[in-house]
Amino acid sequence: MALLDIRNLRVDLPVETGTLHAVRGIDLSVERGEMLCIVGESGCGKSMTSLAIMGLLPRRAQVRADSLTFDGIDLTAISERRRSDLRGARMAMMFQEPMTALNPAWTLGNQLIEALRRHRRVSKRQARERAVELLERVGITAAAERLSQYPHQLSGGLRQRVMIAMALMCGPDLIVADEPTTALDVTIQAQILRLIRELQQEMGTAVIFITHDLGVVARIADRVAVMYAGEVVESAPVEALYARPGHPYTRGLLECIPAPGRTAPGSRLQAIDGVVPSLVGELEGCAFRNRCPRAEPCCAQTPPFASLEAAHRARCHFAATVATVATDSREALCS
Amino acid sequence: MMTETLIQSDREMSAPAPSPSLALELSALSKRYRVGGGMLRAARELQAVSEVSLRLRAGETLGLVGESGCGKSTLARLLLGLEAPSGGDVLIGGEPLHRIDRRALARRIQPIFQDPYSSLNPRRSVASIVRLPLDVHEIGARTERASKVVEMLDIVGLPRRAARQYPGQLSGGQRQRVAIARALIMRPDIVVCDEPTSALDVSVQAQILNLLMALREELGLTYLFISHDLSVVEHLVDRVAVMYLGRIVEERTREQLFKGARHPYTQALLASALTPEPGLGVPDAGLGTVMPDPTRPPAGCAFHPRCPRAEARCSQQAPAMPPVGTPGGRAACHFA
Repeated sequence: MALLDIRNLRVDLPVETGTLHAVRGIDLSVERGEMLCIVGESGCGKSMTSLAIMGLLPRRAQVRADSLTFDGIDLTAISERRRSDLRGARMAMMFQEPMTALNPAWTLGNQLIEALRRHRRVSKRQARERAVELLERVGITAAAERLSQYPHQLSGGLRQRVMIAMALMCGPDLIVADEPTTALDVTIQAQILRLIRELQQEMGTAVIFITHDLGVVARIADRVAVMYAGEVVESAPVEALYARPGHPYTRGLLECIPAPGRTAPGSRLQAIDGVVPSLVGELEGCAFRNRCPRAEPCCAQTPPFASLEAAHRARCHFAATVATVATDSREALCS
Repeated sequence: MMTETLIQSDREMSAPAPSPSLALELSALSKRYRVGGGMLRAARELQAVSEVSLRLRAGETLGLVGESGCGKSTLARLLLGLEAPSGGDVLIGGEPLHRIDRRALARRIQPIFQDPYSSLNPRRSVASIVRLPLDVHEIGARTERASKVVEMLDIVGLPRRAARQYPGQLSGGQRQRVAIARALIMRPDIVVCDEPTSALDVSVQAQILNLLMALREELGLTYLFISHDLSVVEHLVDRVAVMYLGRIVEERTREQLFKGARHPYTQALLASALTPEPGLGVPDAGLGTVMPDPTRPPAGCAFHPRCPRAEARCSQQAPAMPPVGTPGGRAACHFA
C-alpha cells in the first residue's frame, strides 16, 4: 500500500470574482522511501497541493477528495488535533524561506528540542543529543555551540540546513518540501539537494519535492508529476519523462530551456506561446489547448489519462504520438 | 622585469584614452559602503565592488555571473549613475560617466531589472509608463510621443490595446515586455539587464530571451547581462566575467569559459549547475559550508576558505588579476 494516496483532490478558494479552482481533481500516490517531484509553473496548484496534504491551507480554502490517506489514516476524517499530532511527527514540511519554519525569537536548540519533545516522550538531554547529531549530519560545524544561537546569526544556507534538521527531528515517514532550494545560490543549492537526497535514501523517508526547476527534478527525482492549471497532466519515472514526454506541455517545458549541446548559443529558443487560462470558474476540455501546437477540435473534450508504459501516464488525446516523436522535432509534432 | 612591463602596459591601457569601438569601459571601479554602526558600535566598511576593470565593445554582450551579494547589482547601479563610485572610472563611449549630464546619460545606458512586479508603477497605464522617459526628457511633441509608444509596443511584441492597461492586468512576461519597451524608448546604446528573466516562469523566460536577442540584432544594442543562471548566460553572451566578493575573478569568451574555466570558483559554479539530464545525480563541487562575511573578507584570496584547491599561500597572498584584454582570458588564482 502506498504511504500517501490521493484520489481526486480538489482545492477551491473563494476570490472576488468567483471561485478559484486551484487544484482540479488530482491523483497522486507516494511510496515509502520514494522521491516524487511535482513540477510546474507559478499558479499550477503545486503549493496548494502540498498545503492540502499537510492540512495547512487557509481556512477559507475548501478541500475535497475521494481519498486522502496517509499510511491508512483517512486525513479528511480525523480531527485537527490528530492532524497536528501527525504533523512534525510523521509528516514534516520544508519551506523555500527557512524563516517560515524557524522562530526568530528562539534559539536553534530550543526549537529543535521542542520539535522532538512535542511529539516524543524523551528527556531534554536526549532531545539535545538528537539535535546535535542531526545538525552535524546536515553539515553544521560546532553543532553543540550553535544550539544557543538565533536564526538571524546564520547565513541563508545554514538556516536551510537547520530547517532540514528540524524536519528530521522526529524521523518522519513523509517530508513535503516546497521549493526548499529556490532562493539559494547554485553552489549552495547543489549542496542542499545532495544532502536531502542522501538523508532521504539513508533514512528511507518519502519526499514530495515541489519545484519549477527541471534541472533539479532531473537530478533528484524517482518519479515526476507535471502539473498545469491545477491538474496533473503527466506522471512518469524520471528517465521516461525526460526521454519520452507524452504531454505537449511537458515537451514544451523541456524544449524551452537553453541546454548546451542541444540549443546552439544565440539561436531562437522554443517558447510556449500564450498564457495559462484563468482558473476562476469552470474550465472545459484540455486546459493547455490554447497554447498547444498539437491542439485539434477534440481537445475541447477533457482528455483521458493515457497509459504509455509502466507507471507513465499523460493527459492528452495524442499522448501516444507525442511520446514517440523525438525531442526537438516540434515540426513533426505540429504536422 | 617582466612584471614591471606588465604593470606599465596595464597602466597605459587603463588610461582614459577614448576608443570609439568601446561602448563601456570600467577601470579599477570600486564602491564601499559603511554598514552597521550605532551608538556603541563602530560602523564597518563593506567593499561591495573592488577594483573592477572591464571593457565592452559596441554590439557585444558581456555576461556577469556570481552569487547573491557578490556585487553584481551594485556594479550595475554604478554604471547607470545611480550611485557614485568610491574609486575608479566608468567611461561610456569614451566619455567619463560623471561628466555626462543625466539627460544625455539616459540615451546612452538604460536598465532592465529582475522583477517586473516591483519595477512598474501599478497606478500608471502601460502607455504612460513607456512614455515617461520621453516626458521627463521633454522629447518630441505629444502626438509624436504617442506614436513612439505604439511603435515600442510593436517592437516588444505587446498588443496595442495593452497601452490602456495597467501592470496589474498583465502577466509577468507582458510586464517584462513593458519594462523593456520603457528602457528602449530612449534608444540607448547600452542596456544593463539585471537578472531579466529570474522572476519569470521557464515557458515565459524563453519568450523574453528571444526578444532580447532579436532586439540586440535589430537595434545593435550592447548588453551587460547579469544572471545567476549559467545555461541562460551560455546561450546569450559573447564573453563572461565571474564575480566573487566584489572582485572579477575570471573573464573569458563564452567558449573558453564553458569549456575551460580556470578559476576554482568558476569551476564550482559550472559543476553546480544542474542541467536537465536524469541519472547524473547532484554533483559535489567540493566547497565547504563556510560563507565569508563581506565586511570582513578573508585575507589572501577571498575564495580560499571555500576553495577545494587552497594551499597555505592562498590565505596570505591575494592572487593578482591579469590586466583587461589579456589574450585567452584571465583569472585571479595562484594556480590558474
